[in-house]
Amino acid sequence: MSAILRATSLAKRFGGLAAVDDVSFAVERGEIFAIIGPNGAGKTTLLNLVSGLLLPTAGKVELDGRDLTGLSTAERCHLGLGRAFQVVQPFPEMTVRENVLVGAMFGKPGVGRGEAERRADDAIALVGLEGRAGDDAEDLTLMEEKRLEIARALATQPAVLLLDEVMAGLRPAEARDAVALVRRLRDEGLTIVFIEHVMPVVRDLADRVLVMDYGKVLTEGRYAEVTQDQRVIEAYLGRDDEGATA
Amino acid sequence: MNRAAAPARAARRRAVPWDVVGLGLLVVAAAFMPDLLRALYDRAAVSYLSIAINALSLAILALSWDVLARTGQLSLAHAAFYGTGAYTTALMLRHLDLPMWLGIPAGGLMAVAFALLLGGLTLRLRAIYFAIATLAFAEVLKAVVHHAPTAFAGGNAGMNVAPLFRPVFVAGQMERWEVAYLRNEAYFYVYAGLLALSVLISIALQRSRLRHAFTAIRTNEDVAGVMGVRPARVKLLAFMLSASTVGMLGAVEAHRVGSVLPDQSFSVATTVLALVTPIFGGLYTTLGPIVGALGLSSVQELLRRTFSDGYLIGYGVVLVLTILFMPRGVVGTIGHAWRKRGSRSTGTPPASRPQRAGPAPDDAPPKPPSQPGGDA
Amino acid sequence: MIDPTLVLQALVSGILAAGLYALVSVGLALAIGVIGIVNFAHGEFFMVGAFLAYQAFVSFGIDPVFSLFLVAPALGLIGAGIYASTIRFVLKAPELNQMLLTFGIGIILQNLALLIWGGDPRTIAGIAYRSIGYQIGPVSVGLVPLASFAISLTLVLGLYWMLASTPTGRAMRAVAQNRVGAALVGLEVDRVYLVAFALSALLAGIGGVMIAVIQSPTPTIGLAFTLKAFAIVVVSGLGNVRGVLFASLVVAIAESMVATLVPNGDTLRNAVFFAIIFGVLVWRSRRVA
Repeated sequence: MSAILRATSLAKRFGGLAAVDDVSFAVERGEIFAIIGPNGAGKTTLLNLVSGLLLPTAGKVELDGRDLTGLSTAERCHLGLGRAFQVVQPFPEMTVRENVLVGAMFGKPGVGRGEAERRADDAIALVGLEGRAGDDAEDLTLMEEKRLEIARALATQPAVLLLDEVMAGLRPAEARDAVALVRRLRDEGLTIVFIEHVMPVVRDLADRVLVMDYGKVLTEGRYAEVTQDQRVIEAYLGRDDEGATA
Repeated sequence: MNRAAAPARAARRRAVPWDVVGLGLLVVAAAFMPDLLRALYDRAAVSYLSIAINALSLAILALSWDVLARTGQLSLAHAAFYGTGAYTTALMLRHLDLPMWLGIPAGGLMAVAFALLLGGLTLRLRAIYFAIATLAFAEVLKAVVHHAPTAFAGGNAGMNVAPLFRPVFVAGQMERWEVAYLRNEAYFYVYAGLLALSVLISIALQRSRLRHAFTAIRTNEDVAGVMGVRPARVKLLAFMLSASTVGMLGAVEAHRVGSVLPDQSFSVATTVLALVTPIFGGLYTTLGPIVGALGLSSVQELLRRTFSDGYLIGYGVVLVLTILFMPRGVVGTIGHAWRKRGSRSTGTPPASRPQRAGPAPDDAPPKPPSQPGGDA
Repeated sequence: MIDPTLVLQALVSGILAAGLYALVSVGLALAIGVIGIVNFAHGEFFMVGAFLAYQAFVSFGIDPVFSLFLVAPALGLIGAGIYASTIRFVLKAPELNQMLLTFGIGIILQNLALLIWGGDPRTIAGIAYRSIGYQIGPVSVGLVPLASFAISLTLVLGLYWMLASTPTGRAMRAVAQNRVGAALVGLEVDRVYLVAFALSALLAGIGGVMIAVIQSPTPTIGLAFTLKAFAIVVVSGLGNVRGVLFASLVVAIAESMVATLVPNGDTLRNAVFFAIIFGVLVWRSRRVA
């Protein structure tokens, strides 16, 4: 039971539609775990269920053995679950530093001002944004915004970090930097769960991959195994989207 | 200690605490203002004091609304808290045998109680739904007061409220107008004290970690939650702080005006004043609402003397023009220009963010369908 | 116990009132659905219609029936003017800026009316047909409420038809469903918005003419009707124009029941209404996630 994050039979129905249906997985401590699948497969919904932004219709999530059912997003954050969003929403007109400070101040209860500033600065350094620390968040480039998003989540000192399509919109050089960043984070002791469409990134980063389709789990395993799976190939190619050809 | 942090911390130590200095100046100015006015204008000081009191009143109103707005809760129920304060002191006067001035803190407390109720019920309401719900709440409260047993709360005709100050005219020792002057002077100090309290609350909030919590919640409640902020507690706190000062204001004004009436004490005009002033002056700051009050109170006086009904039209015009041309308000626009002077944006800012008076755009990260109706 | 005749009467009154409510609400639904703006000033168009009818009667002796045809284009123009001069510019702004803007416009309209007509109720007196009523079994039905129900229903159904069958209507539905897509296929979105807004003002204005005959309006009725229209629109689903008829029935009947059956109900009528709005909003917000 060394799994740090475990989902058991998670399900979410919206009216008649099952966005997530009986999904179970377990993520090991220090692992980089990828969730992939065609558009509309329910990946973001799954992540929302784990973070607590959505209430599951069934199933549960456990963090380090602790059942998260009924806990708010803030409480989950305090327990060590961090989340970076796909569409970055920095707090504009606050500087980069102030943005990250929010995470540092509230990510864990009882963090004093000085300690919060230390955590914020460490997070900023880890993502490589020191040069922009004093600038307004709204003046950042896309790549810098993504770094900020991750720094904000890091400042909450998570044990598990949930990333949602961080690579979207990045140029190849930037994507390489992002991959290096994620590896650095894992080296720091974080467990990473990420959703991604860009396959080469998944291939380079992921220890294990979970494939979803129509809200259900198709299969799970190492990248090489999973991409050879006929069902996975069909799921991607049998649909009208460019997901697999990135 | 991290190198990047040290200069920032040092900078903060060196920086002049303008907000506290401002508060100090305010207190000093208030202490001398009545005597100064009297020395300069003799008996006309009575009406100047009146005008000053109105400006103070507007500033208190504006600051209290702004505090709530900082969490993204744009409330249309402000008149309800004001009226609650007014009626509390009136009811206490009528039914209880307690010192008159107790009505003021009592008014504040009752307003806080209602704020807790309203805030708690509307926690999950966003944006327009929140606004509508608060407006409905205010109207219900007004109607309840209207229809409460006349013996209890005066019904339609309201109740009389004894004044707080009743200077005695002593022939030979003073001129007649000095009675009015003394009364106004006393009220002036009360209002000034209440404003100082409001400013103190605002400054304290801006300097604490709550400021960041407010901004985070206002920008995106879900993202804030994910970062460990607890929106419910913070929003309720803002509600209570906001209601406390406006409740006390309502109580004081009840004494000064001399009566409470359902339509007057709970008039939506109060809400309009409360929101237009800080929007015009600049939201989410301490200075903005004060600047707005200074700017608009003179307009208000002029308009109110010219038209008894319909003077609010000026405020409507100000609101519309502000949203169209200066959504950040006076202080906000200046502050923004100052921040961006010689700005070094090195990259392409992501898709242009619209200037906002209210909170940030709605196209946020994955959000649950938390709005009533849930249609998208 | 409760007199069944009273209940029946309340029911009938409610149904008749629903027509007017639907007329006013459908305009708001149109503004929300097509343009995406929650128009806080919507009730004021209603109020302006009422007062224009009043003034036309008092100054020129124009019967309200004819005013219907005068007020409609007048309000259409006013709506178009307001859209073109203000609303158009905040469509890309945050939702709360839009809300504040329309709130401001509402304040301006209401206070303009207060300046012109003062705060007292204005009655269109001396119209013969006002007092005509029919007795259908145990229930009495006034001619005017009946007529306004019929007119309102016709207009609402006419709107539904327009949305379904005319090019303008189809354009509106296209824009409502997919703004960007509609623009890409060449629809002049701004023009569609303009027409939709003008139409919403027009419909509300016509409703106002009718209320001027049924009741004695004051400039402050706008706000109450904005809230009522909003309640109906929320119940039927934001932007759902078709559901408005049913929602209006529900809301109008509920209000009528309260007014008739609750002691002191008539004066409390608005308050209970607002309490219902509040309750519905809060209840719905807690029900979800």
